[in-house]
Order: sequence, then structure tokens, then C-alpha cells
Amino acid sequence: MRSRRLTGVAALAVAALTLAGCGLGSSDDTSSGSKPTVDANAQVTGEVSFQTWALKPKFTTYVEGVIKAFEAKYPGTKVTWLDQPGDGYDKKVLSQASAGQLPDVVNLPPDFALPLAKQSMLLDVGAADPKIAEEYVEGGVQAYQYQGQTGTFGYPWYLNTDIDYWNATKFAAVGLDAKNPPKTFDELLAAAKVMHDKSGGKEYMMSRLPGIGDLTNAGVKVLSDDGKTFTFNTPEAEALLDKYAAAYKAGYLPRDILTQQYLGNSKLFTQNKVAWTTGGGNALGDFVKDNPSLKGKVVPSPALDTPPLYVQGLSVSAKTKNQAAAIALARFVTNAENQAAFAKIVNIFPSTKASATDPYFSKSDGTPESDAKVLAFESLAKAKVLQPPVISGATNDFINQQISLAISGKVTSKQALDAAVAKANQLLAS
Amino acid sequence: MRYHRWFTPWVLVIPALTWLLVFNLWPSINTVILSFTNAKPIGGGTFVGLKNFEALLHDEQLRWALLNSVIYMVVCLPFLTILPLLLAVLVEKKLPGITFFRTAFYTPVVASAVVVALIWQWILDDRGLVNGLAEKLGVISGPLPFLSDQWLLLFSAISLTIWKGLGYYMIIYLAALGNVGRELHEAAAVDGASAYRRFVHITIPGVRGTMILISILISVSALRVFSELFILSGGKGGPGGRDNSVVMLIQQYSQGFEGNLGYASALSIVLFFVTVVPMLLLARMNRKAADA
Repeated sequence: MRSRRLTGVAALAVAALTLAGCGLGSSDDTSSGSKPTVDANAQVTGEVSFQTWALKPKFTTYVEGVIKAFEAKYPGTKVTWLDQPGDGYDKKVLSQASAGQLPDVVNLPPDFALPLAKQSMLLDVGAADPKIAEEYVEGGVQAYQYQGQTGTFGYPWYLNTDIDYWNATKFAAVGLDAKNPPKTFDELLAAAKVMHDKSGGKEYMMSRLPGIGDLTNAGVKVLSDDGKTFTFNTPEAEALLDKYAAAYKAGYLPRDILTQQYLGNSKLFTQNKVAWTTGGGNALGDFVKDNPSLKGKVVPSPALDTPPLYVQGLSVSAKTKNQAAAIALARFVTNAENQAAFAKIVNIFPSTKASATDPYFSKSDGTPESDAKVLAFESLAKAKVLQPPVISGATNDFINQQISLAISGKVTSKQALDAAVAKANQLLAS
Repeated sequence: MRYHRWFTPWVLVIPALTWLLVFNLWPSINTVILSFTNAKPIGGGTFVGLKNFEALLHDEQLRWALLNSVIYMVVCLPFLTILPLLLAVLVEKKLPGITFFRTAFYTPVVASAVVVALIWQWILDDRGLVNGLAEKLGVISGPLPFLSDQWLLLFSAISLTIWKGLGYYMIIYLAALGNVGRELHEAAAVDGASAYRRFVHITIPGVRGTMILISILISVSALRVFSELFILSGGKGGPGGRDNSVVMLIQQYSQGFEGNLGYASALSIVLFFVTVVPMLLLARMNRKAADA
């Protein structure tokens, strides 16, 4: 009898814990339109909330200064600033969106903004403010325009991109010249072979698996024009994975890359364990700060192919009760003057066209750090968002898992890509 | 007598009952409902019938996850049922310094699963303690891929679970051993029974009920494993995602703005049945043994 009671209790516990663990409710369906009811010339007054992502306490003074300037420019306005911690920001925004409580102006990267735009939770700021296309760089604006959605769902706030960094000491040790680094992926693989062969297999050029961005760079069309199907299972994609698989088999890449938990390539670069990494325009300072022995040994160069464009932006909630003030605030925070001031206290680049001529970004003072910054700034002109924002979460994980299988040789590149496309399409359609 | 009205028991259980209904029963029902929809975290969803369950049938990730869960259970069950009992028998003896061993065996239980898994990750890494020592001693020529081989990673996680669980189940056995009559052991010893025979014929029958309870707890937690595999595989389920557990899949599918709550709910229901079946089997085996 005792065991039966125990079994009963255990059964109840299992039932409750297993099922309740996934007891996730659906949210209310937002049907409010995303088209603005005011234009950029409407009177700006009243209260407006503004949410940023992990800017306190480092940039408190800057943000408070911008808010104060906004309130002074538009008398009668009052901005309530909310700053959310860095970790779990997606969950925070998700819960705000589910509860219909998005702040009036909210910092959202393009992949966060897309699902909200799909649900008409964000205002089409392009309709309220047609000058957006004239005043902000094309790539930044395009990042908030989505396939299958009409409109622009955010003001690009600030941008970043990657350039290449090479360890001159490691290059010299195997007879390579870091001042004349690889310029294409094939040259990179050839250099990886030299590094492996001449170091007796002890040194690595790089430690990374290819991702969707690499497929885009290899000329692969990732998503159909209507944004409804994935199309990256092409012979070009297969060829790229085959090259990585061959390099992995030959020992040019560390084995741990398959589990994707391996320290990031840039961390290994900092630890002097790989000779190449990508990084933002400010990365050089970080490398040297974390590992002073790298000082004077790192050579920057432009990215191998099309550089990736990283965008942050400010979106306006479709449910805002003060559209005029919200749009004005988003525009004010992202204007050339405020972005340039921000970019001078943190290593980011402004998304406004007016900043292109600012010598702070375009002229080097001769130090390697400044050279890298200018290189990155110049790269922005041709940088693109390489991974469509529609790829997120489970889809990205599955694609990376299939790529990992192909690189390890457990399945062919074609099998991996076909499986990845099938699953990605299934998740996209569901 | 006025304190014994018919509703008095109900008043007493209402807080617990409310808790159960709100936080257990309703989410459970909600999960079943969601499993027949294509619900997303924002925007709700529509009824899709059995589509999620049909997709599960063709889901290779789920097949690997179920296989991993079953292997996890099959390996953990005997180790975590027998070894803690042996440890409990050892530390039950009143010897000088035995408290130290009791504490030492229990320490992994107190440590956070995440911290323990991270430490194990460092130990088992290609450049970790185990590979480093083995290479220095000349036992291996190159590092063993504990964290980058599908099966080695799974068995590393299983080892971690066993190591961490020993102390917990040992404490439960210690409590149960206190109920096994000392006079039975003494009588058997007088009759010339060896320590082994006393263990098999007195100790084990004496703690049989506890063993069944522990077996059920182990089966359930092994089938619902998450932390160990998640941390050791860097959250990605190992090479090709073949070291996922069902709970990890649920987490992967339900997270983010585009989380597929319908599919994740269908996975939860599969996990529910997978967990209940071995539990009922164990209970049935126990009943048969008790009746025999």
C-alpha cells in the first residue's frame, strides 16, 4: 500500500511538473494598426517613455543629457527613461509586448523588431517621417524594412561592423606576412594550412564554423524574395561547407568547434591561440587591454568579403498614446549631433549620413587603434546585414547543428543543407 | 463540535488546492490546448489539429533526444539505486571521522548544478585537467574528445549526474536504514550469515520501499535531464544537436520572439508519457515482488 501511495504521489508530481513546465499561455492578438496617425510636424508635448538596453550606469550622464535637451527643445514634454539589464532583454521585451505594455520608444535590434512589426505592434516611422531615408544610411534603414512587411519599423541608432585582425608574431613564426594577409576565403584556408603544417599541427589560424553570414558572403541566396522560403541549399553553399569539412579533417580547425561551446574566436585570439579573428573597430584596444603582450603585434585589415552590418535602432510602439512626442524623441536621440556625441564616448558609429564627413571617424591619428577605427568606418559603406532577421532561435540553432554535422563528416554537405532548409521552412511556416 | 463542520477540511486545503489549480492544473491543461495550435509568444495562434504531433513523428532531433533520455535512465538507474545504498551502509557505521565522509559525499548535492557542470566542462575540455594529466602521463597521445564526441559527451553528462546524485540518495537511504531492525542483523550474524548475505537478505528487503521510490525519482529526473547536458554541450546539444534531451528541445523551441509554443507543448506531452511509463512499470514490478 505504501508503495502504491508513493507511486501515486510521484505520478502526480511528474504530471504537474512535466506539463506545467511548459504551461505557456498565448497572448492577446494586437490588431492596432502600424500606420501613424500623426506626421513629423505634429505638436510635440506630453509624457513619453523611453527604454534603452544596458546603458546604465556607464552612459547615464549622456542619456540624461539627451533627455534634458529634448525636454528643453519641446517644452511641455516629459520623458520617463527605463533602462533594462543586458541579460534577458529579449525576454523582457517579449513580456512587455505580450502584455501590451511596450514603452513608447524602445531600443530594438532588427531581429527583435521583426516579430513585433509582424504583429502590428510597431509604428511605421517611415510613413510619419519620410525624411528618414534621406538622413540615415541606407543599410541602417533597410535593416528595419522587412520582406513581406510594408514600412520602416525603427530609426537606426548606431552601427558597427567587423574587420579582420591578424597576429603578426604567429604569422612570422610560420613564414607568413601579416602586413599582406589573406584577402579571400581560399587564401585564408591556404594560410591555415601553412600555419598547421609549419607548426607541426600546434597552431591554428582560426577557430570557427561557418554560419548563414558566410553563406551570404559566398553568394548564396538565403531567403526567397517574398521571405516565405529558405533557399540556401545550393551547390555554392555545399562547396563552402565542403571546404570547411576538408580543413577540419586536415586538422586546420580545432576539434572543439563542433560543439559550438568553444571559446569564441576573438577570445582565443586574445589568448594568443589563433592567428586571425574578426572584430569591431574598437576590438584592438580590447585585445591589448586583456592581453598586453599583443601590443604592437596585431595588424588590422578590411574584412575578407562583404562586412557584416550590426544595427541598433529605436522603434515606436503602435500603442503609444503620444505618437508625436514618441516619434520626435526617437528622431532626436538618433539625430546626427546626438549620435556623434554618443560615438565619441563609446566605440560605435553613427547611422546618420551627416556623420560621414566627421573627421573623428574618417581620419586616423596614426595609432593602430585609430587605423582600425577608420578602417571599420570605411567598411560601413559596403557593410550589409548578412543574416536575415527572420532567422532566430531554434532555426539558427538547427542550421548551425546541421553545419556542424557536415563539417565533422557525419553527413554530406548536401544532406545537412537540405535538412536545415526543410526544418527552417517548417519553423517559418508554423 | 462547532469546530468540526463539514467544510472545515476544505477550508484547510483551499490554499494548497488554489495553488495546485492555478500553477499546476491550469498550465497543464493549457499545455494540452497549445499542443493543438501554432501559438507563438506574441500574437497567439490558431488550431492546427494534430499537425504538431505529425511533425514530431518525423523529427530526427526528437528521436536522438528520446534515445539519449532512455540511455540516461538505463545507465543512471542501477548506479544511483545501488551505489548510494552501499555508501549509506558504509557511512552508517559509527566510526571516528565518519561525519567527514558523510559531508564529503553530500557536498556535490549542495553545489549548484550549473557550477558543477562548468567545473566538469573545464576538467573534460581538450585542454582540461583529465586530458592534460593523461597526456603528461603518456596514457594518451592526443586529447580525448569528451565534449566534442556525441557519445563521450553523453556519458560525461551521465557521470556528472551520478556523481552529483550519490550524496542525495545516500541521505534518503541513511534514513531508511535506521528503520531496519538491528536485532535482525544481530540474529543473522549469530546464525553465521556473512555480511554479504545480511546485506542481500536483510538490508535490501528492509529498504525495498525506499529503493522503489528512489528508482522512480531517478527515472523521472533522468528522463527530464537538462542542466548537465545543457552546460556540457554549451547549450547547443553537442555535435549536430545529437546530445539534446527532450527538455532541451522544449527550451529551444519555446524560446525567443518566434518561439513555437505549439510544438514545444506537443514535446511536453510526449515527455509526460515517456516519463510516466517507466514509473508505472517500476510500481508494477514492486507490487508483483511484494505479492510474491
